[in-house]
Amino acid sequence: MELDTKDDEYMYSGHVGCPGCGAAIAMRFTLKALGAKTIVVLPACCWSIIAGPYPQSTLKVPVIHSAFETGGAVASGVRAALDVKGDTETTVVTWAGDGGTFDIGFQALSGAVERNEDFIYVCYDNEAYMNTGVQRSSSTPYGAWTTTTPGQDWKKMRKKNIVEALVAHRIPYAATANIAFPEDLVRKVQKAKALKGSKFIHVYASCPTGWRIPSEMSVKIARMAVQTNIFPLYEVENGNKYTINYKPKEYLVREYFKLQGRFRHLTDRDLDQIQEMVNEDWEVLLRKAAERV
Amino acid sequence: MILQENPFPGVCGRVCPHPCEGVCNRREFDEAIAIHSIERFLAETAGRYDLKPILTRLAAKKQRIAIVGAGPAGLSAAYFLALLGYSCDVFEAMPEPGGVLRWGIPVYRLPLAALRSDIANIEAQNVRILTGQKIGSEFLQDAAGRYDAVFMGCGHSRTVKLGVPGEKTNAIENGLQFLGQLRQGNTIPLLGVSAVIGGGNTAIDVARSVIRCGGKAVILYRRRRRDMPAFEEEVQMGIEEGVELRELVTPLGITTDGAQYTLTLQEMKISGEDSRGRANILPDEGKTRELRVERVFKATGAEPAEDWYNPPDKTKVSLTLSHTILISPESGPALAFGGDLTNETKSVAHAVASGKQAAMALDIFFHGGMEAIVPKLAECRVGQGPSLSMEMYMEGSRRLRNTHVVSYEEINTDHFQFQPRITRPRLLKEERRTSFKEIDLKISTNLAIREAERCFNCGICNQCDNCYMFCPDIAVIREKNNNERHINYDYCKGCGLCVVECPRNAMTLREEDI
Ligand SMILES: Cc1ncc(C[n+]2csc(CCOP(=O)(O)OP(=O)(O)O)c2C)c(N)n1
Ligand code: SF4
Ligand SMILES: [Mg+2]
Repeated sequence: MELDTKDDEYMYSGHVGCPGCGAAIAMRFTLKALGAKTIVVLPACCWSIIAGPYPQSTLKVPVIHSAFETGGAVASGVRAALDVKGDTETTVVTWAGDGGTFDIGFQALSGAVERNEDFIYVCYDNEAYMNTGVQRSSSTPYGAWTTTTPGQDWKKMRKKNIVEALVAHRIPYAATANIAFPEDLVRKVQKAKALKGSKFIHVYASCPTGWRIPSEMSVKIARMAVQTNIFPLYEVENGNKYTINYKPKEYLVREYFKLQGRFRHLTDRDLDQIQEMVNEDWEVLLRKAAERV
Repeated sequence: MILQENPFPGVCGRVCPHPCEGVCNRREFDEAIAIHSIERFLAETAGRYDLKPILTRLAAKKQRIAIVGAGPAGLSAAYFLALLGYSCDVFEAMPEPGGVLRWGIPVYRLPLAALRSDIANIEAQNVRILTGQKIGSEFLQDAAGRYDAVFMGCGHSRTVKLGVPGEKTNAIENGLQFLGQLRQGNTIPLLGVSAVIGGGNTAIDVARSVIRCGGKAVILYRRRRRDMPAFEEEVQMGIEEGVELRELVTPLGITTDGAQYTLTLQEMKISGEDSRGRANILPDEGKTRELRVERVFKATGAEPAEDWYNPPDKTKVSLTLSHTILISPESGPALAFGGDLTNETKSVAHAVASGKQAAMALDIFFHGGMEAIVPKLAECRVGQGPSLSMEMYMEGSRRLRNTHVVSYEEINTDHFQFQPRITRPRLLKEERRTSFKEIDLKISTNLAIREAERCFNCGICNQCDNCYMFCPDIAVIREKNNNERHINYDYCKGCGLCVVECPRNAMTLREEDI
């Protein structure tokens, strides 16, 4: 793997993330891209626990633990304080889960990016409220089991398209990234760091515990989400310039679903239907990227 | 590294039919690595820059060893024995060493310079080659006292009799001799049609040489093309150059009217296949054909030029290995037989293998006797076949490697991109028909590197650092020398991600024994 920031390490061993945690990998790569001059704003999520209780810390950069719904607001405040100090060098990054982003933190996020606050908002997406025991969020995909969508009551709503919601704010930069594609992820974070204003990065981060997958498969499954078009890699500049970063091999979504315990109940018909949804979303994206007329 | 295991990279990079590529894991992904092209490239590059190999050598030993025959088996035995610390004398009847490489295989497949360069390196390891020294059967007695062991690698250089009426009248020329004359530098202009009887590589070499001498060539083979022992690629190139192939015919007789020969050919029919899938053939009674030609060559199987070259009958043999036969007589030097004398597959690679096996076996024999040979050799095996590693024999680091042979299913192909195999530049067939110039041309450094980079490195860490990068616990340690990766067991949670994300299956995860 070729990464010029490979040797830079801003995380310590010995944290309490589960074995194979994709969110831990996501943080490692992100900090490699951001460097030491970074302040992390951390609303309640698994990462609040992984980062450790004061005075211990998993991270070599400063962390501000914040209330669950305040990722956007606290970051705005930290940025303002740094500006007052004349520190334009330090990057402020909010690091929130999908629950903290898609649901409870959405208004603070929307407000902050509407003001075009100069910060990066990273949502590491494990598709449920994992820290509190796998409750469904508006990021949980169609078809998934969670503790609040158990048995035959599996989730029947589609996953919210958070990147499009942010694009609608016409922010300078919004992108998807995935722990299985470190070069792409690091490039996007570095690009975001170099831009002024609000940047949003949606990082797909598998969760062995909540998805009922073997820990060793978490990167493989994350990669398959891209290969199957379930989670396309793309970026949007200024709310209108779309670039698709990876042209998938058109693998069947089935392959991805059948490896995961959270989808075990799905029938062939359900999977066919999901395949159609994925195809439809992909077509929409291609049209936006002007690759289809 | 190659030279620790094979003294003939320049030769093997050209004439070996590279069965290794047939089992290369990359073949199932896109195309096998062009291993032979890289081998040849390395040999040429070392030659061009006059690079001297850094070889592991053991301390000098007191035993002296005589090698009979300076072909690929004899020279390999001498080379490896020299690395093991023995002083070797190689006796060769011909004026120059190389055996079939020097006097058999045509120069368009193996140019003299390439052969000489490999042999020069062998001699540089303190191997004495005595050319023009034909050895008689009394040598085995005379050697007592002068040598502690004799390696017999005299090869198969006499063409077996066809048993066809007319054979004795000189009507049928010997294909091997024809190749030998060409390799002595003679030009032999040929007109008209030459019939070549046989289906092995010699037959193809003769036929393709006939074309280059200006003649036409018809190969007469008693079975089908796909049954031919010749390498398929050679057959294909021969046909491209204009060699005609007649399958399922065998000569019954030969007559001459002074100007031309008339061959009577028996047509053969197939009755089933043998266990290896070769056609069983029978004369198709009553069906014969005649063929008028200017010359007839026989290029059928070969045998040892003298009977005493052969290993004696089983009762006297002490040990039979995959490529070598060993005898330890009550008095006199120990004897080892190798090369074509013992190998079922008569190829250069197998000859080198027998030289290496014999060298190791003799070394073990001197130290621990016959009984020690088999167990010790078993420790030096690479893969599941009979291949042996000299590096492992000399206690090199290869011993530390996992012996598991990685299968394609164990490769994480997500980390590789399709990339076609290089196509080796070749002379056009028009150029090939009229000259003995080497067919396969050099490849550039760029191409060679690109091809080498296609290698999966199955089972061998190449410091790609996927394990290090994907570890959620920063529990993969890179050593300061950057050559080694270790797991920090204080922090590893055993998630197994590194093992799955290793592209080449260089890691394994197993539960701790408690
Ligand atoms: C206002 C408020 N409600 C509920 C909680 C309890 N809580 C802490 S973390 C968490 C789940 C976070 O889910 P997500 O943002 O997806 O991150 P994950 O744990 O999945 O990484 C919840 C519900 C809280 N801390 N604050
Ligand atoms: S629950 Fe999931 S996201 Fe949270 S620490 Fe465990 S593996 Fe990581
Ligand atoms: Mg979550």
